[in-house]
Amino acid sequence: MTRFVVRRVLWSLVTLVLMATIAFFAVNLLLPYDYALVAGQRPRAIEEIRQQLGLDRPLFVRWLDYLWHLVRGDLGASFGGERVSGLVWGVLPTTVTIFAVGGVVAYLLGEWLGRLVAWSRNRFFTAASSTVSVLLFTAFPPWLVFLLVYFGTGRLLQVRSLFGLDPKPYEPLPAGPELAWLAGGLAVALVAGILLRNRARRHGRRVLGAAALPLCMAAFLAALLVSGAWSEATDRLLWPSAVVATAALVLIAFGENLLVMRVGVAAEMTEDYTFTARAKGVPGHLIRDRHVAPNAVLPAFSRLITSVPYLIAGLIIIEREVKLRGVASLFFEAIEAAEVPVILGVLVVVGLIGAVLRIGLDVVQALVDPRIRIRGEPA
Amino acid sequence: MSSAPLEYEIRGWPDTRRRLLRSKMVIVGLVIIGLFGTLAFAHPVLQATVWSSRPSVYQPETGFDPTVIHPSGPTVAHPLGTDSLGRDVLSLMSYGLRPTFFVAIASALGAGVTGLLVGTTSAFYKGRYDRVMTHLADAFTLLPPPLIFLIASKRGLLGPFQLGLLYGLFFGLGPAAIVVRSRALAVVEKPFIDAARAAGGSAGWIITRHVVPAVVPHAAVVVLFGVVGALVTQGFVEFLGIGEYRYGLGVLVYNSLTYRMVLGTGVPWSALMTGALSISLLASAFYMISAGLRDISDPRREGRRA
Repeated sequence: MTRFVVRRVLWSLVTLVLMATIAFFAVNLLLPYDYALVAGQRPRAIEEIRQQLGLDRPLFVRWLDYLWHLVRGDLGASFGGERVSGLVWGVLPTTVTIFAVGGVVAYLLGEWLGRLVAWSRNRFFTAASSTVSVLLFTAFPPWLVFLLVYFGTGRLLQVRSLFGLDPKPYEPLPAGPELAWLAGGLAVALVAGILLRNRARRHGRRVLGAAALPLCMAAFLAALLVSGAWSEATDRLLWPSAVVATAALVLIAFGENLLVMRVGVAAEMTEDYTFTARAKGVPGHLIRDRHVAPNAVLPAFSRLITSVPYLIAGLIIIEREVKLRGVASLFFEAIEAAEVPVILGVLVVVGLIGAVLRIGLDVVQALVDPRIRIRGEPA
Repeated sequence: MSSAPLEYEIRGWPDTRRRLLRSKMVIVGLVIIGLFGTLAFAHPVLQATVWSSRPSVYQPETGFDPTVIHPSGPTVAHPLGTDSLGRDVLSLMSYGLRPTFFVAIASALGAGVTGLLVGTTSAFYKGRYDRVMTHLADAFTLLPPPLIFLIASKRGLLGPFQLGLLYGLFFGLGPAAIVVRSRALAVVEKPFIDAARAAGGSAGWIITRHVVPAVVPHAAVVVLFGVVGALVTQGFVEFLGIGEYRYGLGVLVYNSLTYRMVLGTGVPWSALMTGALSISLLASAFYMISAGLRDISDPRREGRRA
């Protein structure tokens, strides 16, 4: 197993260097530095800036230079002189929070509903769930945000006042260590809830399975109360722009997850092993939770992980509309200003996150799925 | 391995058509695309016939109907109403659909051709070429094509068709190549490929005549899925105003939301929803065809007890 992970990580590094190369040439060809420089500058000044940035060197040399800096963790500097890595690092917590919470919630909803709908074999439910999931998945994000803001703002402020918080307009989430703690805690609580629920289900304890998630969330809230950060934490958790952005992401990701999960369960239901289990008289819910669902869950999970880089594109508009400062809005601002280093930096970071997630997915699959065998290990 | 075709193998065009028409999702998707396609190029025809008494009212940019108070809801004269500036929403939508269609066609072409080319050749030649191509595809999948699309549209040098091709290139070298390669690997092992080799067929002939037709349905599934992303991204570009588009569904959404904010709640639902719903419906049409194709080309879905 260790050898597998090490080999996987090493190959990913090669892939990442390859990706950075493609990104470097694509960005430099599609949006050359010169395009940004020419605007409003005299020829002499342009020549000076070109020399300062090292643009008089050939593209090939600049590429090697970029890779050399990249290997040492340096993403270069923006036109304003700021380090790109610092810029990305500053906005990363917000985006990761939205993705962690939104992804887990979307996954849970999709898994639960997809399983129910497929198991019911009700043609009306099936058709309705397909329609809803396709429409959600292809929904135009600005429109989705508009609807959420239009219908949700009032409710959200009501909930805030319920917790004794004053109303807040849509404004950036203050980033800081407490946000990372909060997001980490919430994600841990949700994942722990899922794991506990799955374990309980597999052992046929339905009550514990149903209560697992609420229990874990209650534990998380209790921990907040005890730690004394209650009011600040609830303020961050019910931050309007963060809530709307997360909800929009949940809706988009949930649509696809629901479809994949439903199709997966429906396909597994016609497998021979399900037929055998039925013939032996195994109770329906046990067949569903112990045999069918685990087989259908893995494709849905991997689909969600691999679509993360694509969801970031959708997040651009979402973040912009609710005035959130995240990776996606940084990317958009960089495009508007033609800031080549920042654009490249965001692409590389998105690729890095994608690669890390994929390694994690491979390891999880190798651990969970008994059908996957690693070369060189006994079966 | 027997030489008789298995139940799930798609045999020629008549069989493909029979299977396609059995899938409700494919039919619904095709109908939606057909409707929008007609609408996109119907504007000149409508102006020459139905609206011939006063065609200037229906000019997408400068049109203004002096007989109605704007914005107005759907009427016989304006089936989708008018926006706050008095322009006919149906005309705007008709013109806005064109760049969207160009992007859809171009991205499908680009992704399909590159995906098939790279996927089938690397499955056929195997060896070092295959390893290099697989790594390249892995690297490309880490680069989301929508982001490249956004970068490319910044300078305004590329039209919708070129942007679609670029998107297709990135999608085709990444996800599409991986899917096509994995399917082509199974095809290359079949006896009829050996027979073709033994008959003295050249590599190019075997790939184009025997490998490509067998993997086209699977390529179509992933390519159409990519088109969904291209359409929504094109909407982003128009909505965000990165590229200078005069008409576009994204422009329509942006305008309707902006007018609503500036003028209060006075914008009727028809003007408010047309752009966003058109993008969604068109994208979901491609998605449904993709999903329907996946169902009919999946051997595990055919003829099982259910």
